[in-house]
Amino acid sequence: MLAEWSFVGVFLVIALAFPPLGLVTAWLLRPKRPGPIKKSTYECGLETVGDTWVQFKVQYYIYALIFVIFDIEIAFLLPWAVAHMGLSAAQGILPLIEVVIFVGILVAGLMYAWRKGALEWI
Amino acid sequence: MTATNTFGAPVLSLLIFLPLLGAVGISFINRRNVGVIRYATLGVTLVTFLWSLQFYFNFDWNNQGMQFVDRLVWLPSLGVQYLVGIDGISLPMVVLTTLLTAVAVGASWPVETRVKEYMILMLVLETGMLGVFTAIDLFAFFVFWEAALVPMYFLIGVWGGPRRVYASVKFILYTMAGSSLMLIAILALGLSHAGGPTFDLLELVRQPVPPGTQALLFWAFALAFAVKVPLFPLHTWLPDAHVEAPTAGSIILAGVLLKMGTYGLMRFNLPLFPDASRQFAPLFAILAIIGIIYGAWVAFAQRDVKSLVAFSSVSHMGFIVLGIFALNAQGLNGAVMYMVNHGLSTGALFLLVGYIYERRHTRELSAFGGIWATMPLYAVLFLIAMLSSVGLPGLNGFVGEFLTVLGAFRANPIWAAFAALGLILGAVYLFTMFQRVFFGPITDTHNEHLEPLNLREILVAAPLLILMFVLGIYPNLVLGPLQTTVAQVLQMVGTAVALR
Amino acid sequence: MVSGLDFQLFLPETILLVGGIAVLIADLFLRERADRETNLAWVSLAILVAALVASAAQYGVSESLFRSSADPVAPGAFVVDGFTTFFRIIAILTTIIVFLASVEYVRGRTAFRGEFFALMIFSTLAMTLMAGSTDLVMVIISLEFLSITSYILTGYLRGNVKSNEGAVKYFLYGSITTAITFYGASLLFGVAGSTNLYDIAARFADPTAIIGTPLMSLVLPAIIFLLAGFGFKIALVPFHQWSPDAYEGAPTPVTAFLSVGPKAAGFAMLLRVFAVALPEFTHEWAALMIGVAMVTMTLGNIVALSQTNVKRLLAYSSIAQAGYMLIGVAGVSVANIAGIAPGEGGAGLAIDGTAGVLLYILAYLFTNLGLFIGVIAVDYLAGSDTLPGYAGLLRRAPFLTVAMTIFFLSLVGIPPTAGFIGKFWVFGAAIQNQLFALAAVGAINGVISVVYYFRILKQMWYEAPADPTPLRLPGTMNAALWICLSLTLLIGLFPAPFIEFANQSIHMLGVFVRS
Repeated sequence: MLAEWSFVGVFLVIALAFPPLGLVTAWLLRPKRPGPIKKSTYECGLETVGDTWVQFKVQYYIYALIFVIFDIEIAFLLPWAVAHMGLSAAQGILPLIEVVIFVGILVAGLMYAWRKGALEWI
Repeated sequence: MTATNTFGAPVLSLLIFLPLLGAVGISFINRRNVGVIRYATLGVTLVTFLWSLQFYFNFDWNNQGMQFVDRLVWLPSLGVQYLVGIDGISLPMVVLTTLLTAVAVGASWPVETRVKEYMILMLVLETGMLGVFTAIDLFAFFVFWEAALVPMYFLIGVWGGPRRVYASVKFILYTMAGSSLMLIAILALGLSHAGGPTFDLLELVRQPVPPGTQALLFWAFALAFAVKVPLFPLHTWLPDAHVEAPTAGSIILAGVLLKMGTYGLMRFNLPLFPDASRQFAPLFAILAIIGIIYGAWVAFAQRDVKSLVAFSSVSHMGFIVLGIFALNAQGLNGAVMYMVNHGLSTGALFLLVGYIYERRHTRELSAFGGIWATMPLYAVLFLIAMLSSVGLPGLNGFVGEFLTVLGAFRANPIWAAFAALGLILGAVYLFTMFQRVFFGPITDTHNEHLEPLNLREILVAAPLLILMFVLGIYPNLVLGPLQTTVAQVLQMVGTAVALR
Repeated sequence: MVSGLDFQLFLPETILLVGGIAVLIADLFLRERADRETNLAWVSLAILVAALVASAAQYGVSESLFRSSADPVAPGAFVVDGFTTFFRIIAILTTIIVFLASVEYVRGRTAFRGEFFALMIFSTLAMTLMAGSTDLVMVIISLEFLSITSYILTGYLRGNVKSNEGAVKYFLYGSITTAITFYGASLLFGVAGSTNLYDIAARFADPTAIIGTPLMSLVLPAIIFLLAGFGFKIALVPFHQWSPDAYEGAPTPVTAFLSVGPKAAGFAMLLRVFAVALPEFTHEWAALMIGVAMVTMTLGNIVALSQTNVKRLLAYSSIAQAGYMLIGVAGVSVANIAGIAPGEGGAGLAIDGTAGVLLYILAYLFTNLGLFIGVIAVDYLAGSDTLPGYAGLLRRAPFLTVAMTIFFLSLVGIPPTAGFIGKFWVFGAAIQNQLFALAAVGAINGVISVVYYFRILKQMWYEAPADPTPLRLPGTMNAALWICLSLTLLIGLFPAPFIEFANQSIHMLGVFVRS
């Protein structure tokens, strides 16, 4: 019993050891030539402007919301698809109708979001 | 008690709802036709008065039960009915109500603002009052009881004096507080009835309530009525309401609404809760005596004529409660007689005070003096009303006072002694007031040229003053139909003593 | 097993769902048309009327829907019975009256009109679902559904700070109470082993297996936590803090809607869950109701005394009104809902508390909505929702003033109005159950409420108007006012058929009909 699960333990050890191992190896091998630019927080890109409490564009949230809705839709559709064979044997076409209603409501929502311009980045 | 209707037609319901129908009709008149509205309202109230006289003449003096009964099942599942009828106690109250409403409308001619709403409220109020005095079903009684409350609130609040808002809110709070407890008691009484729920008074009196609950229910009813009477120490709303109300409002308030309290005590408390009534009768009698003396005392100190008359009401209503809780035939007969008398005399006094207020726009005693010289007719009318209120033999007031004090004497001589003291105090403050207003030199130049009473004013006051003489000489007009009913009430309370 | 009958009996909900989506989509494609709001309002009204007719047509039906295909005799998640029909009608009528009162207001005050109508229809759908849910999962989903639509409607005036404040408070408060309700439901599921209310009742049929055992320490918290969720919708103390802000901030028609619809639905759910699933614990939850009712009435009335904003005042007033309704819940007679008709001697009492709640809600629906039509009218035409804005209304709109006066009298419980019948019934139920103290507290509260109701009356009747121009109500508003006024008086004067309706609606509430 324990032997069967021992590979999980081995896996855990390897997983924990892997990132430090890579970092340590790189630290040993790399040439060390520090400078002020290299020591700054962001080596590349632009200097930050203003503080971190900037206001995000509200569209991020609308995007996120629409994404979540369709994410959940998949979460519902997957078990339905798995169970569909058994359900349709017992109840015929009804399970299909039910899921079409479900998707139909979501489609209506999508249409609404689309028409209101939620999918366009301004 | 039996319930009969020899007419076979809803004549009584017609009486009750006639004013309401009139109000509906008047609501269709354009508000600018003030004259039409006034005369139409007066017409409706006069027709109602004449119709109520018909009940007086057709009333069977020897019938113990309810007459002219109308019955309509309202809520079958609870046995709630619209049930109205007239017996010896309600009969004088019904006629008094219709008469005083007509007088009050006649006294409302000087009202200039929002006449339409005013007249409609007066008529709705009349329906409520008539319903209270005729309802036999407790549920219907409560409906009418509340229906009479709301119009009065607006009459005081919209058309009243400077402190009308305060007075009207105080009035409605006191009465609502009493009546909501009464609603609970009505529910408890009707729902606990052994043979299934009923609110029919005639059914309920057949099955006495167990003594423990009887006391509780007695108090719930008695509080509602005592607020309305008003019995000391629940009287504090009354002076405010009376002083601030318009003249017609005061007439109705003193003449009819206060009687709703004493009527309720007689109609519901005594027959429904006989044991509790006997038990608490001394307490109520003592409170009534305190009210008699306190009211007279405070009235003596008043400088405003109207509030003087208002406090005199506290004193006079004390006599009625004393008569009721004497629990004998003289006391009860006297109480009903007194209710009619007080309606006539105090109604007349408020009316006459209203006349002088319309001329001088003040009611301060100090502003008057020597009015006899400038308005002799007015002074005579005032004198008659005042003497009736004092209880001069030959006028109506005497009969009621004599009977109540006699009833009190037979119940407890000490009560009678204190009540007699109240009678003397009553004479003192009324005569003092009369002397300050009508005699002596004219101290205020405004009083030198006062407009004499016009024909309308005389006609409005006349019926009250004539009735004072008629009832003083022949009190049997009220006492006659009363006998059998009073005997029956006493039989229910269990203290029946033959009058004759 | 889902059958054709299920869909037939689910018709009102189907109409509302399809109709709501259709209005939403139609609004998108009618954007350029200037008359679209009016047309959409009429279309929405037609949808609601159709749903109302479909609901009324199911009067007398008693059927459990959406049963499991594995066990077709077991009860399903939704039931169509007298109780459901009653609350469907209440919910749809509320929305219809609010619609009539708000068409002009919405046209004048807000943007995005199509969504307003669609959201109202979806709220109605949520309320009908709440009325018929017989499964804890369904209960919670429909509760959440109604909450979310209500949040959006409250914050509908996007540019208005108060509207936003109300919506955020409503939302934050709602999220927490929903979580608590979830917890309560899961506790109940844990003890009973089923989420179906009828199954739970069967599991608890022998209370000795629970009472006195450690399991009882799970049932009591479950009752209290579930009450948090229902109490939040009803705005019972201590779950009421959101309501004054939400009522004040929300567009006035939404306030009208919130003060009646969700409250009624909350009561439907409270009665359904407690009376159906936990009849054996009536003693426990009814005792809880006595305390909550007393506190709710008293706090609502006393805080209302010092309010100067009419919407806020009416928010507290409606908290107090919910307290009166709760008197009826405390006076529930389990015998009656188990199938013994009220008044049939013996076990059935003459006045049933459940019927009292239904009757009170019916009376309150017309009374409170009628009052709010007045508030909407004054807000819309005179632009004020504070007390001085009502000064001299008698001169500016005499009929409206008289109607509002009657509604106030009905809220106080003065006959002959609907409110009196409602109060009579709930107080009667309490007295029959020997709850004299509760009835007395209710009566005293009635007197306190006179003070603040009559403060508004004082403004309308006694004061002189600042601006004496007459207010002319739009036709739709007048129609809604007439509906409310006539029904308030009709219930007050001829209550017998309405009482019969309420009694029929609760008949067999607690019994699962196997068919």
